[in-house]
Amino acid sequence: MDEKGSMLSVQGEDQSCHIRYRMEASCLELALEGERLCKVGDYRAGVSFFEAAIQVGTEDLQVLSAIYSQLGNAYFHLHDYGKALEFHHHDLTLTRTVGDLMGEAKASGNLGNTLKVLGRFDEAVICCQRHLDISRDIGDKVGQARALYNFGNVYHAKGKSICWSGAEPGDFPEEVMTALRQAAEYYEANLAIVMELGDRAAQGRTYGNLGNTHYLLGNFRSAVSSHEQRLLIAKEFGDRSAERRAYCNLGNAYIFLEEFEVASEHYKRTLQLARQLKDRAVEAQACYSLGNTYTLLQDYERAIDYHLKHLIIAQDLNDRIGEGRACWSLGNAHTALGNHDQAMHFAEKHLEISKETGDRSGELTARM
Amino acid sequence: EAKSSAVASSQILHSDGGEMEPETMETKSLTDFFSKMHMGSVMNRQ
Repeated sequence: MDEKGSMLSVQGEDQSCHIRYRMEASCLELALEGERLCKVGDYRAGVSFFEAAIQVGTEDLQVLSAIYSQLGNAYFHLHDYGKALEFHHHDLTLTRTVGDLMGEAKASGNLGNTLKVLGRFDEAVICCQRHLDISRDIGDKVGQARALYNFGNVYHAKGKSICWSGAEPGDFPEEVMTALRQAAEYYEANLAIVMELGDRAAQGRTYGNLGNTHYLLGNFRSAVSSHEQRLLIAKEFGDRSAERRAYCNLGNAYIFLEEFEVASEHYKRTLQLARQLKDRAVEAQACYSLGNTYTLLQDYERAIDYHLKHLIIAQDLNDRIGEGRACWSLGNAHTALGNHDQAMHFAEKHLEISKETGDRSGELTARM
Repeated sequence: EAKSSAVASSQILHSDGGEMEPETMETKSLTDFFSKMHMGSVMNRQ
């Protein structure tokens, strides 16, 4: 090559480097904006920026892995689990190809969570195991704890998915109880690590789910004990949503312990917090639970008061199923008080709504 | 007899077996990644 040709070649290389540099910078800027948007909870906009970053492209495989991972998480939060699965799968393939073990562990964890939501429990278990194995191999205690928590969640969801209708906690088929016992074991194993790490936030989450698992297993005293721990930690963090969940779960457990007064106190705290958090659906749920608890206490006036509150919110939210339940409960309470006209009025409303919502068992109950 | 006996305990509750805690998703932060890279290059220069 003569001198002129060599000069041209250097110029061409410079230009190509410059284009590549601009491309990398542009991809990164777009991805960083996507990350910022997701951090503030605007997942829809975040997705657009990540998709644009992918269109521009990058040769940095760690950046690409982070984009795939964050896109998967954004779709997960948007409840688009098919897309979440797609991107976490891309991330898994990429991290395996480049031999990034920590990245592979994280991709496996996210894929496992997504598969769990999709009800693909056997595949989810494989992902959780991979997450756990890598975390153990590389001595990552935080990763191990997270994998164990995810494992617990998979077995808990599997247990609930097998048989739910009609049966009461502690009275499920053996297959369900086995899955729930496995969930409890994984949560306990997780707790041992997060306590060692002093991670209070993680302890709070695990106590909450362990409490729900004990509840389904029919171990209501253990459920109360776990939910009380969850409540304590929620208060430490000032996390009112978690506090509300704990009060509601405690109320449910006390119902099965037949301590109805205690249950009602917990549901009242749930109601207060739901109002503070301006969560109307949860407020309705708390009113419904309180109405039913006062029915169990045979305090029908109070039961009617709460069921009416539930009915009003259900109507506001256009929740016809909730409205039907409220009418059914109001009919029962008025019958108990001997208010036959009112009882008939609500029974007719319940029948009308059951027909409209296609609730056959509700319709049959109403006809009785 | 009180009507409360007609309310099965499973009908007391809206939630299917308790309200669950959120999933923990693993994160791969670009901001953290580039902060570390920047710190690395600063340290190398020193």
